[in-house]
Amino acid sequence: MLFNSLEYFIFLPIMFLMYWFVLGKGLRLQNALVLVGSYFFYGLWDWRFLFLIIASTIVDYLVGIMIYKNEGDRSKQRLWLWVSVIFNISLLGFFKYYNFFVDSFIDLFELLGYSIKSTWTLKIILPVGISFYTFQTMSYSMDIYYKRIRPCHDFLSFATFVAFFPQLVAGPIERASNLLHQITNKRTFNYDQIVSGLKLILWGLFKKLVIADGIAPIVDDVFLNHETYPASTLILGVTLFSFQVYGDFSGYSDIAIGTAKLFGVELMSNFKFPNFSRNVAEYWQRWHISLSTWFRHYVYIPLGGSRVSRSKAVRNICIIFLVSGFWHGANWTFIFWGGFHALAYIPVFLMGRNTMYKNNVVGENSLFPSLVELGQLVLTFGIVTFSRIFFRSESLTDSFNFIGRIFSDFSYAPYEHPNGYRMLDYFILLAVFVLYEYRIRRDERNPFQFKSKAVRFLAYTLVIFAMLLFYDSGFDRSFIYFQF
Amino acid sequence: MKKLVIKLGVYAFLILISLEVLVRMFYLGEDKPSRFVDESQVEKWRPNQEGYSVTGNRNQNFVRYNINDSGFNSYQEFEPTKDGYEVALVGDSFIEGFHQPYKSSIGRKMELKLGEKIKVFEYGYAGYDMADQMHLIYAYREDFELIDRIYIKMKFSNDLNRGEYYVQNERLNLESPLNKILKKSKLLVYLSEIGALTPVRNMINDTRMLVQGGNTPKPVTRDKAVSKDQVFLENFKNLVALYGYDKNRTVLLMDVSTTPKLFIDYLDTNGFEYIDFGQKLNNADRNTTLVYDRHWNNYGRTLIAELLVHDLKLVGAPD
Repeated sequence: MLFNSLEYFIFLPIMFLMYWFVLGKGLRLQNALVLVGSYFFYGLWDWRFLFLIIASTIVDYLVGIMIYKNEGDRSKQRLWLWVSVIFNISLLGFFKYYNFFVDSFIDLFELLGYSIKSTWTLKIILPVGISFYTFQTMSYSMDIYYKRIRPCHDFLSFATFVAFFPQLVAGPIERASNLLHQITNKRTFNYDQIVSGLKLILWGLFKKLVIADGIAPIVDDVFLNHETYPASTLILGVTLFSFQVYGDFSGYSDIAIGTAKLFGVELMSNFKFPNFSRNVAEYWQRWHISLSTWFRHYVYIPLGGSRVSRSKAVRNICIIFLVSGFWHGANWTFIFWGGFHALAYIPVFLMGRNTMYKNNVVGENSLFPSLVELGQLVLTFGIVTFSRIFFRSESLTDSFNFIGRIFSDFSYAPYEHPNGYRMLDYFILLAVFVLYEYRIRRDERNPFQFKSKAVRFLAYTLVIFAMLLFYDSGFDRSFIYFQF
Repeated sequence: MKKLVIKLGVYAFLILISLEVLVRMFYLGEDKPSRFVDESQVEKWRPNQEGYSVTGNRNQNFVRYNINDSGFNSYQEFEPTKDGYEVALVGDSFIEGFHQPYKSSIGRKMELKLGEKIKVFEYGYAGYDMADQMHLIYAYREDFELIDRIYIKMKFSNDLNRGEYYVQNERLNLESPLNKILKKSKLLVYLSEIGALTPVRNMINDTRMLVQGGNTPKPVTRDKAVSKDQVFLENFKNLVALYGYDKNRTVLLMDVSTTPKLFIDYLDTNGFEYIDFGQKLNNADRNTTLVYDRHWNNYGRTLIAELLVHDLKLVGAPD
């Protein structure tokens, strides 16, 4: 079930009303409803994959208890932790990476002059959200291992934590320390929290339906036919893709966070206006925060983080970016994308500028960014956008062809979409969007920061009107990050 | 909770009103003329209506229509005479031309190309199939007997589902009191036009099917497609038998590349004339259809007009 589907707009109010007004007095009943609703939500894609979620839930539930039971015996605890890690990574490995490894193995042998006829590749469907919930359950076991939390003995609550439908298929990847206690404790109906959730849902839908889906046909055309377009169009295409993927994923996260609020649950922020980052390090503090945090806590820090020698720290940075790239998909394009970001991050790290923008925003004390900041924003956006060529291309060959055409044959020609979309519409839309996001850049959880009720009402109306203007019934409206 | 429900209700109401105003202000909602069935059982537009047809979700195509006294979109009245040279174009939305300025329709282009020595009457109505078209010619036979050349636009795969004419109530249901009220809201009309209501309609239909225990239609296999072609051919024969067909004056206008050989062979063997517009349009050096729509654009209409004028010259129309 997609957040932007009719089914969801029927499902959500029913869940909301039952949650607060039919079962509102019993925490266990509420959790049972959320669990059943979450399985239904997920099962509409493919009910068979529910068994994977249930298996992952049972394994980590038991592992959590066993790690805690064996307190004092670190080797036994480590053994149980490995059970969780191996189980979850195996799920991921089989469903997401099996064919990639087989194909890469064959390619390698062909490079060495041996020809292998593959009979090992399988027709495997990637279960939606597998990369997200396996990471979430694994982190639970790791947190118990590192004594950050105690295990949850209530299976119903734990299963609800794993399957919580707002963030089940594309995050934010929650850590048990943030989400689990909210599931196990009684939630109260909070008017302000619910209104804030509805506003976030509206803003998320705008980002998805207007920004991401509006731009998508142009991006699709440019990347599909990149061999026929001049450099100016390719640059336009990848720049628009930067906005598309941001609108798509941050829109999803906003709807997820907003939906969770309707059920009295606060999820972590996943995006903090990454387009206003002044260097690549700041970008990673603002983009897909739940994944970056996950890798920092469970890969980077256990490897020693930055509290090791410089060369080891650089190695650690390379590892997390490459792993992060690989997490996105079983394709060399994502590994290159991760590698590119590592190369862009390392100089910032070596100059000691990787944490300097952690606690402030661009134009912190002024209405507009300074010229220096503006230059930094453009440079960072340019680097990130360039890396998206790898992210969006079907193969490495396509990526390098795309880049090759930009640099070897630089020419300009006005772009005309085969379906005649007026580019001016998009330029105006994106200009307004960027300026508006700049205005609200201090608080990602409050997109309608207007004191006047009338202005706020006007903003709601215009946002919905824009959705109607850019609605395209002929377009596939699923979310980009569902494939990861 | 009470506060939430009241506020949501008030906001929803006010937002809907505001959207209705915005849709009207930017003229996004298409004007829908009303339809009816006349005394000859011909379904058409109620005569003498005007309005704007809008295509594309950001108002890309915005044109005025003019329903004449005969109930068809045209700049002129259809008054065939014994002395003049008159041509009839009979067809669906492609001939109806709600997507084009009615003063530069195919018929008007033909008239201008022939120095206004002929008159072209466009009997076009969205959704017409061969049964509608042949019944129309039969029902208005007094007029059509005065017309010198008749072109019927047809698409084999779409237009021969019926072997006999009857009034299609589904289309007329659009004129139900409820639909008439709904059409008063330009917002609803706009939502329907851009396909935003399609998921709702699909869900209602699916639910209805489920309740009735029905199955979704299965894809047509090759064998079934062949037998379907045969059924369509039989329907054509039946329509000819029922409503008559003057082979000396009537010409089919169709895309041969999308028409089965079975039908082409039948036409060739039995002396039915046809004009293939597919070759000319498919080989055109420019796009011949609208950007947001599959209908012919101005260039496409010009090419069709050229084809028909060429045919008229061959049969001795005044030049």
